[in-house]
Amino acid sequence: MVHSILPVHAPVTESRKKGTDMTGDVAIVGAAALPVGKWQGRAEDATRHLEHEVLARLVVGALEDAGLEKSDVSSMVFSLPRPYTDQKYFATFMANYLRLPCDGLVMEIMGNGMTAALAFQTAADQIRLGRTKVALALGVNFESAVSSVEHMMSSMRATGDVDFHTPFGFTPISWYAMDAVRYIHEFGSSREELAAVAVKNRAHAMHNPIAQFRKPMTLDDVLAQRPIVDPLGLYEVPGRGDGAVCLVLASEDVARTTARPYARIRGTGFYHEGAHQISEKPNDMIAFGAARAAAAKAYADAGVGPGDLDFAEVYAPCTIVEVLVSEALGLAPRGRGARAAAEGETSVGGRIPICTSGGLLSRGHPAYVTPFYSYAEVLDQFRGRAGGRQVENARLAATTAELGNYNAALVHVLEAVQ
Amino acid sequence: MTMTVVGAVGKRAYPPRRSAFTATFWSALAEGRFQTTRCTKCAKPSFPPKPICPHCWSDETEWVVLTGRGRLYSRTTVHAGPAAFQHELPYQVGIVDLDEGLRIATRILGEAELDQPVEIVVLRYEDGDIYAAQPVRAG
Repeated sequence: MVHSILPVHAPVTESRKKGTDMTGDVAIVGAAALPVGKWQGRAEDATRHLEHEVLARLVVGALEDAGLEKSDVSSMVFSLPRPYTDQKYFATFMANYLRLPCDGLVMEIMGNGMTAALAFQTAADQIRLGRTKVALALGVNFESAVSSVEHMMSSMRATGDVDFHTPFGFTPISWYAMDAVRYIHEFGSSREELAAVAVKNRAHAMHNPIAQFRKPMTLDDVLAQRPIVDPLGLYEVPGRGDGAVCLVLASEDVARTTARPYARIRGTGFYHEGAHQISEKPNDMIAFGAARAAAAKAYADAGVGPGDLDFAEVYAPCTIVEVLVSEALGLAPRGRGARAAAEGETSVGGRIPICTSGGLLSRGHPAYVTPFYSYAEVLDQFRGRAGGRQVENARLAATTAELGNYNAALVHVLEAVQ
Repeated sequence: MTMTVVGAVGKRAYPPRRSAFTATFWSALAEGRFQTTRCTKCAKPSFPPKPICPHCWSDETEWVVLTGRGRLYSRTTVHAGPAAFQHELPYQVGIVDLDEGLRIATRILGEAELDQPVEIVVLRYEDGDIYAAQPVRAG
């Protein structure tokens, strides 16, 4: 019983930092995020935004948001920066830059689109294991200096078999486009219904000061864009941008001492279907089986069902992906997800708001930190500071992260504690 | 049955690597045979071919020739592609469910419709082969 060696009235900072008192519950208590945009600049620029300077400011901001001190933090779990970040071994570099000794864990994590969610999960697990009381889950994704056609030379090898898929020219979003073609074929949804998801997300992003794309946008605007991967046009696939986020996670006993609302992790579910982009054994690809399995686990863990949620912040790089994951989470009946978006059910003020931040399509998608933005959005909603995109009485939310073509999913159910 | 060979212009944009194991697949393709491995223990085929059965993890697999027939499960046309593929834009890719109960992803040629029959063909570039699926002509 290691915690028994602590004096009962230990100074707050001491009890925050040490001890193995496992209440089991972990909370998000603070967040700071860079507005998603093109920050990286190019080699020829006289001055550039540097990743570590940006992230250091966010660390300070997030701790201030949490009402905690530097000395409270004893773990830092980073998302791996893109290969385009010059500074390598970024986590240990940052430990020095911040002069932050840690006796929990300092590490970097990589898991493609799921990267930031895995960093979040690892930080939460350190707290659950009693190895740390306050952990930062943080990272920076700068990539805008590299063109899309060059970036795809790398990303095409992350979303397929290098020898048996890549030679044909599959791109990451081509897999989602094939989801869309199959969905329209099976359920008779229209291209317009799918495109409505992009319009809805833009309407949310207009009220989000950290969103990358905030100009008003109509359905006609979406449909008029040049094709990227049929049937998806430019506004139905993610733009590219830079981002950085720092989240502060704490054990619930510490969260209570902060005297401000926090987001308790109430349920967690992970599932990898053991397939990479496609299952070699034919399956119902657009059922998003991994998301269904992970969501079922997260709901069971939380003791709730989809009908209990007030909103969801899902990982959806394309319109069709939001539709399919909303169905997999049980937020819309099978084959009805696109229509639900078109009819306003997933808008703020609707039956079940989805991607109140504007989602990957409008808030932006700096991929390795994207799920961090989702958790930050949940905290904003729970604290009632989401402005024009605020969900009334936001108390229970689900988040998702994924990799491949939702071959794996990590789902969290988060609960507001006032 | 020997596969149809379709000629393609120039070199392959992103040539597949060969291992001592997968060289058997690519050599057979050059001779007009579409092959994969099947487990001698659990009898399940796998694609891409593997020296270990992914189902029962047996290391006893054998080469079998596939019919190269299947149905198109989905497709898309890529209009914005990686640097190496710029000269081929736009091009079609898709997912095919083979008659042997295997799902593959490959290049698509012609006007293929979902759920309609397709055949796997050799797509022969100047520097070597890949494969593709095209609609099976009626009659």
